[in-house]
Order: sequence, then C-alpha cells, then structure tokens
Amino acid sequence: MPVSRRSFLHALSPAPAGPSSAFVAARGREAHAAEGASAPARRSAGVLLLDSNENPLGPGRAAMEALTRAFVDAGRYPTNARPSTADLREAIAHRVSVRPENVALGAGSWELLRSAVRLHASSARHLVTAAPTFEQPEKMAEQLGIGVRRVPVDKDGRIDLEATAQAARWAGLIFFCNPNNPTSTVHPARAVTEFVTRVRKESPDTAILIDEAYHDYVTDPGYATAVPLALEHPNVVVTRTLSKAYGMAGMRIGYAVGQPRAIENFNRWGITFNQNSLAVAAAVASLGDPAHIDAERARNTEARAFTTRFFQDLGCRVMDSQANFLFVETGRPAREFKEACARRGILVGRAFPPLDKSHARVSIGTVDEMQRAGVVIAEVLGAGRPVPAAASSPSRPPR
Amino acid sequence: MSFTRRAFVKTVGVGSAAFMAARRSAWAELLQAPAPARAPRPLLLHNNENPLGPGEAVLEAVRSALGQGGPAGRYPWDDVTQLHQAIADRFGVSPENVVTGCGSTQILREAVQIFTSPVKPLVAGQLTYEECAGYADLVGTPVRAIPLDRSLKLDLEAMADAARGAGVAFVNNPNNPTATLLSGDAMDAFIERVHTAAPDAVVLIDEAYHDYVTDPSHRTQIPRAVKDPRLVVARTFSKAHGMAGMRVGYAIGHPDTIKRLAWEGPNALNVAGIVAATASIKDEARLRRESARNMEARKFTLDWFSRAGFGGTDSQTNFIFVDIKRPAKGFRDACREQGVLVSRDFPPLEKSYMRISIGTLDEMKRAVDVFGNVLGVKAKAA
Repeated sequence: MPVSRRSFLHALSPAPAGPSSAFVAARGREAHAAEGASAPARRSAGVLLLDSNENPLGPGRAAMEALTRAFVDAGRYPTNARPSTADLREAIAHRVSVRPENVALGAGSWELLRSAVRLHASSARHLVTAAPTFEQPEKMAEQLGIGVRRVPVDKDGRIDLEATAQAARWAGLIFFCNPNNPTSTVHPARAVTEFVTRVRKESPDTAILIDEAYHDYVTDPGYATAVPLALEHPNVVVTRTLSKAYGMAGMRIGYAVGQPRAIENFNRWGITFNQNSLAVAAAVASLGDPAHIDAERARNTEARAFTTRFFQDLGCRVMDSQANFLFVETGRPAREFKEACARRGILVGRAFPPLDKSHARVSIGTVDEMQRAGVVIAEVLGAGRPVPAAASSPSRPPR
Repeated sequence: MSFTRRAFVKTVGVGSAAFMAARRSAWAELLQAPAPARAPRPLLLHNNENPLGPGEAVLEAVRSALGQGGPAGRYPWDDVTQLHQAIADRFGVSPENVVTGCGSTQILREAVQIFTSPVKPLVAGQLTYEECAGYADLVGTPVRAIPLDRSLKLDLEAMADAARGAGVAFVNNPNNPTATLLSGDAMDAFIERVHTAAPDAVVLIDEAYHDYVTDPSHRTQIPRAVKDPRLVVARTFSKAHGMAGMRVGYAIGHPDTIKRLAWEGPNALNVAGIVAATASIKDEARLRRESARNMEARKFTLDWFSRAGFGGTDSQTNFIFVDIKRPAKGFRDACREQGVLVSRDFPPLEKSYMRISIGTLDEMKRAVDVFGNVLGVKAKAA
C-alpha cells in the first residue's frame, strides 16, 4: 500500500470517548454526530476518511513552512503576531480583489454562518434554507428559536431557486450554498445574479448568504463567484473557507466578503481573537500561492471523474459534482451504507434527510484512496465487478 | 529557530506517496534556508502576553503532530477529545467536567449567552475583563457594573448584593486590569452569599492569571466548581502557558452546567492549539519557572516605580497597575514614540492609572529607561 496513515497517529493515542452532541455543528463533523455516540476516533491507522470533504493532501508546502516559522510568535495574540490578522485580511482581500474592510475573519466559516443567522434572522423573520444543505445555519436558528423554512432541492440535487425566492418573503436570511453540500451541484453565475436581483426586489430586507466553501473545486465554466454581488448589495454576503481546497480544515479559518457595514457587524459578533497565529501565517502563505490551488483543483477533478465513473459503472446515478465529494444514489439507506463501509475501514458521509433513504455522500480522496475505496464500496453495494483502472495522473506514484 | 528538520522528513503524510515525497523534500529544502530577517518591533507590554511563548516541549508536540501537514488538513475533533482528557487528568476530574473554547473569551461569551437574558442581568466589576459585559451588550443583557472598592479590588459584598435576580456573577480573580487578588476565603464567602441571594445565578470565575499568583491566601475554585452546578471556573492557555496565539481556553464545572455551557461546541478550536495545549497542560514545572521569572521582573518594575514615587497595586499577575499621576493617553503615546507599547485606557481610572505588562527582566530594564524619560524622573535603578 503506497499510503501510510501512521503519520496521523504520530502524536495521538486512541481517543477514549466518543464525541459529545456539542460536536454536531461542525462542518465535516456530521458523520459522527448524526450516527450517535458510538463513533470511534476518526484518524485510525488504515481508515480512509471520505466523510468530511477534506483535502486529503493537507496544506501546501508554503503554508507548512510559514506555520513553523511562526512558532516564534505562538505566545503573541494574533493581532501582534507577524503576520497578523490584519495581514491575513489584506491577503484575502488581495486574493478576491476587494479591500480589507470588505473581509471578516471567522474561526472557520462555521462561525460566520452562525453570526449571519443572529444578525439577520429573528423570531419574527425566519431563515430560508435548502433540504438537504449544510446545516449549520438551521442548527443555529433552532438554538435561537428562529423559524426555518426548508426548500427541497430539485430532482438533480440543485437548490430550487424559484421556490427559495418564493419562501423568501418576510424572511430574515436565505442560506444559499453554492456549490451545495451535500448534493455537490452548482448554479451558474447568471442564475445566481437573477436570484439575487429578484429577492432584492421582492423582499429587499432579506439578507442572502452565499456560501462558497467549495468554490475552488468548481470546474463548470458557467459558474462564477458571487463576490461582485456581495460588493454591490448591502445585504448579500459571500462566505469562503480555507478548510477545503486550501487543505486547512484543522486550522479553522473562514472569511466573509461584503460591504463594509455588513462586515463590521460580523466583526462585532465574532469571537474575540478567533484566529490562531500559526494558522494566520499558514493562510497568508497559502493565499500567496494560487498555483497550488490550481494543482489541487486538477487533482480533485481527476479523482472525481474517476470516482464518478466508478459509481456509474456500478449502476448508481451520481449528481453532477462541482465539489470534492459526490452525492450518489446508492438505492439504500445512507446509514446502512455508511455502517457497512465503516466496518471495512472506510468512513463516508452521513445521512442527509430527506434524501437519507437512497443517497450517500462520499468525499473525494486521492485516486489511490478512491481505488481502495472502490474495492470496498463495490463489495458493499453487492457488485462483483472489478474496479476500473484510473487514468494515469501526476498524483499517482510511479510503479 | 531551534526545532529539528527531522520531524518533517521522517514520516509519510497523506496522499500519494510520490506527491508527498516531493512535498516533503521541498519542505526540508525550504527549512534549510535561513529565516528572513525580521524588522525590530517595539516592546509589547500592552496585552499581558508571556514574553517567552510556549515551552520547547509544546512546540515539539506541534511540530511532531503537524510536521507532515496531514492533521492540519483534517477537522480536529479527535484531538479535542484528547485535550479534554488531558485537562481532566491534570485536575483529577472527568472530561464531562471540561469545556474548551477559542480562548477563554469564547467560553465567557457562551456563559453570558446561556445563563443570562434581558431579564437576568450580568453582574460584573466596573473595571474588569470586559468580554462578558461586551457580549452582554450585544445580546441585550443588562449589566450591573459594580465599582471597585478603595483598594481597587472587586467589591464582592456589593456584587453579591447586586446578584439578586441575576443570571451570571462574573469575577476575574486576579482581576484584569487592576492586578489585584481576592483571597480564597473571600471567594468562598462570596459564592455562598450569591447562592443564597440568587439561587439561579451562575458564579463565573475567570482565573486567567492563576498561575502568576504568589499570594498564599489564593485558592482556585476548581475543586468546588466540579461539585457546584452554579459555579464555573474559566482558565486560559494565553497567559502563563505562553500560548496567546494558539487560542485555547477551558472551563471546569459540574457536568450539567458544562453541558449547557458547551453551546457552540469545540468547532472554533484549531489543531495546532489543541496539540499545544494538550502538551502544555502536563508541564507543571514550566509554569512554576514562568511564575518565578515573572515575579522577579514584576518586582523589579514595581520597585522602580516605587523609588520613582509612583505606587501600584499589589500585582498578582503578569502586569502591574500603576498610578502614574497623569492621563494614560499621554503616557502611552510618549512611550510608543520611544518603542514601548503599554495598555489602552481603563475608564474610570484612565486619568491616572496605566496597566503595564511584564516582559522579561531585560525588557523591563529597557522599558523603565523609557518610563523614566516620559515621567521626567532620573533613573534610580540600583
């Protein structure tokens, strides 16, 4: 086996206890929370982690180098460290072509999604979200006693923008995940612009949060970021994260882009000092190295195509993925599929109601990992077919 | 930088072996290059940081865990579980008694969020760490701000009186920015009074500077918090542990209370901080050395001010609160011009008091020269 997981265990002994329900909320934590308290430590030897939509390669080399150089400032608050949080805001602003006052930092975009619910929704003004989509906003709304309207995705897994716009009247906030987690589908720029324009006209006080967590993985040429819309409209905000293509899920860095007043509100509500000084250094370095994101996109695109073909060969319908995961119609309950895979050393995504009876979310690892996963998944799905060989790729080791 | 390169090259990370091999050698290569020279920066005596940062064992743990990059790319939930266990072990409690946050600041906010409301106010000192009151303002919780007593200590009697009907009574002990301590006996009596006056109120004690206390009358309230569902003790890795940049704090209390307090979960914690904290909590010896180091530098600085005719409170922290007999602003601006950063204003005492963090002894020797210039006193250091 070319890949060793030993490095993961380098400083870790097995976790003694399962996660508490407080873990439910995290992006990527879904797998464990939904399945109860019996989940074992994730990072065990040989276990393939296809459950949390992480970048299997981790941060780029520039990031790790900067992180270790920043050790000298581990004792300094991130405002005093060099680089500082101000430098990070500037690096992000530069990367997305806005000004630093258009950027708010979060301890992962998780924190920003929660702040958005507080800032815009209330017991009198509901949250509109999709079903299924990333649940953090609705979980926050539930914690605060705010009403939630869930709009089912269409048959192709796309967020139903028509029905969402209709549900938006009198709403405080619309959560629009593009590409959508877990269905992996994306709406093109034109549709997003039309949607925003329509909501702004029909329900001008409704804020729209467009979560572009998977932005860097999109290959659909019709797609474009909604950042220009966030700059143009006072109550449109775009969130991003460094947990996905940047490979820094452990570092907890997300950001929001919007008009300065909207951003100021996020900063006011944010956790004081919500950034780690080492992570800031890693992020600044990473943002200055766009080439490694292009490489990561190419790597993921290839592994995604391989895995999509694999499932299609097994006779499973796969939604059009523009992310680093697939939403697959396995024709059996997600929980059952997940447990069968877990018994064979592969963690896949949890159940996503209302599609939990028939679909599973599988994150994209490396091609090697997906080949290993394929053997197991074919077994679980009861197909005796051999796993198709992957196309040659730079991410495969020479044999 | 003193760490080894071996940690980077001795194991294989994730992903394809060839890809990772290329990445590894690239890191090793980069790390052989000299670190870029850094511009000198002012003395940072404004944020109560530990000037030495975390210990070598802590950095080694981070290096060892993240050196290959793998865990940095994974959500750190397994690691959080380990940290909770390590904290529980340190205090002889169970992980159910422990909650962690992105700094203790996150935990203080959560306490206000969960235990107060527009009809259940927050009671706090008028001059104390502001995180609780600041968050109370955001969520619409009224704040009963109780003035300090004449010795610039939190007025526990008045605070207990004000606790009737409150959601949270917040005590920072020792108190930032006044550096003053309330004895273990005084805290015991306060907790009992609040429980009697306000059976529903949670007493939240922030012991951020606990490891710097040298007064023998001090006692942590952690043992009591474990049994008392109306008492929570918050701590941080940002001060004596030297990890302000790592953003890890924790609180200890009764399992029922901790469960409610963990409102946001550990999602804001990053893996570098988690690994560092897990290592640091085990290193008691280093905390004692840090306290001794700080005590010497603190005494030197307070002695200097005293000889120069400026009195300070009895500091039990890594900062001092000094009556500089002039507005803080002018002093601060003048010090900045000479390369020393000191604290912001602390109303209502901003017309005469200044908070100065304690750096290394060498740093404080440099700093008092600047203070002497600014205050117009001749250097009298013996």
